Amino acid sequence: MANEVDVKLAVRHGLRLSMDAWSVWVAVLLALLVRFGVLQHVSW
Amino acid sequence: MATTASPIASERQNPLVRLAGLVPGILLLAAIGLAAKWIEQSINGYTKAHHITFPNIEYVLWAIVIGLVIGNLVKVPEIFRAGVDTYEFWLKTGIVLLGSRFLLGDILKLGGISLLLVFIEIGGSLLLMTALGRAFGLRPKLINLLAIGSSVCGVSAIIAAKGAIDADDEDASFAIAAILALGAISLVAFPFIGHAVHLSDHAYGVWAGLAVDNTAETAAAGALFSDTAGKIAVLTKTCRNALIGFVVLGYAIYWARKGQAEAIGNKASFLWKKFPKFVLGFLVISVAVSLQAFNADQVKSLANLSRWAFLLTFAGVGLRTNFRELSKQGLRPFAVGVMGEVLIAVLTLGLVVGANRVWAL
Repeated sequence: MANEVDVKLAVRHGLRLSMDAWSVWVAVLLALLVRFGVLQHVSW
Repeated sequence: MATTASPIASERQNPLVRLAGLVPGILLLAAIGLAAKWIEQSINGYTKAHHITFPNIEYVLWAIVIGLVIGNLVKVPEIFRAGVDTYEFWLKTGIVLLGSRFLLGDILKLGGISLLLVFIEIGGSLLLMTALGRAFGLRPKLINLLAIGSSVCGVSAIIAAKGAIDADDEDASFAIAAILALGAISLVAFPFIGHAVHLSDHAYGVWAGLAVDNTAETAAAGALFSDTAGKIAVLTKTCRNALIGFVVLGYAIYWARKGQAEAIGNKASFLWKKFPKFVLGFLVISVAVSLQAFNADQVKSLANLSRWAFLLTFAGVGLRTNFRELSKQGLRPFAVGVMGEVLIAVLTLGLVVGANRVWAL
């Protein structure tokens, strides 16, 4: 049980690390799209 | 065996196939989030139209509750799994974009106070968890993992520390389960206590940021209180996250000296590897907004994009919390976790109330 959980965790760990960097790039890309008018008036 | 092979196999897949595999789960997160927003608006609309006084139940709570119901009563099909796991990605994207809601001056002021409180919280939590773990006779590395998880930043910190101190798989699983279970409890307990002791949005946000361990649960616990509390909670938690590398490095050096973990070669490279990069992204966006690189309408759009990203996160928090799996973990680590977290919550509440008197948070 513990090993099975941890293999998943290890895989998720890899994903977490890549997600960490990807999240910054995606957020910066979104900010640039907003800055240059591609994305306008995003409502909530 | 099949369960362990599938995620590894998916790691080796073509990136485009992997990306396509995320779509169903992301759509499920979006559907839950939109349903939550619709329920909040419908209740508000109905109570307003019929002049009924009813407390506003935020979409955050609905998103978590719908996720919990689906995740615990229905077995989420495998096809949604990978996409649901992206809630962590949306959380970090949301935090980076949240930088647009803070001017650099606010970050320096609030971040400075938070950082001071974070240092006290980290020191206190490490000592407290270590003392409790020893009193309950837990294994030393399990004590370290629980201490790191409760003092710095939950699951990410435990996973980062696991490799660095060469802890057992079982210990890491116990510590993660304890932190996740306590995170679920804090979603209910924190807003309730915050209202009961009449904390301001700012004070509550700092408290949630200091005492709730996993970042997703911190954001949710903050947003359940108010929108402002949510953003302050994330800022405070980001200060804690920024220190993850230093705490893990300290433990890694300790165990390496005892010959029970690999020695750390380049410490600067170790710190950079463990440093959460989204903290830098958050600062970059805040600096850009402070330098007026965006007009008022654009800043509003960025803030709303951040809210959409958090909406997906909150749906994921509910879906990910599986009470059956959490209950399978050991009782003693959980008992130490509960006692430690309650004491940390009380300690940090005292800190926040004190700081509120001095700096009027």
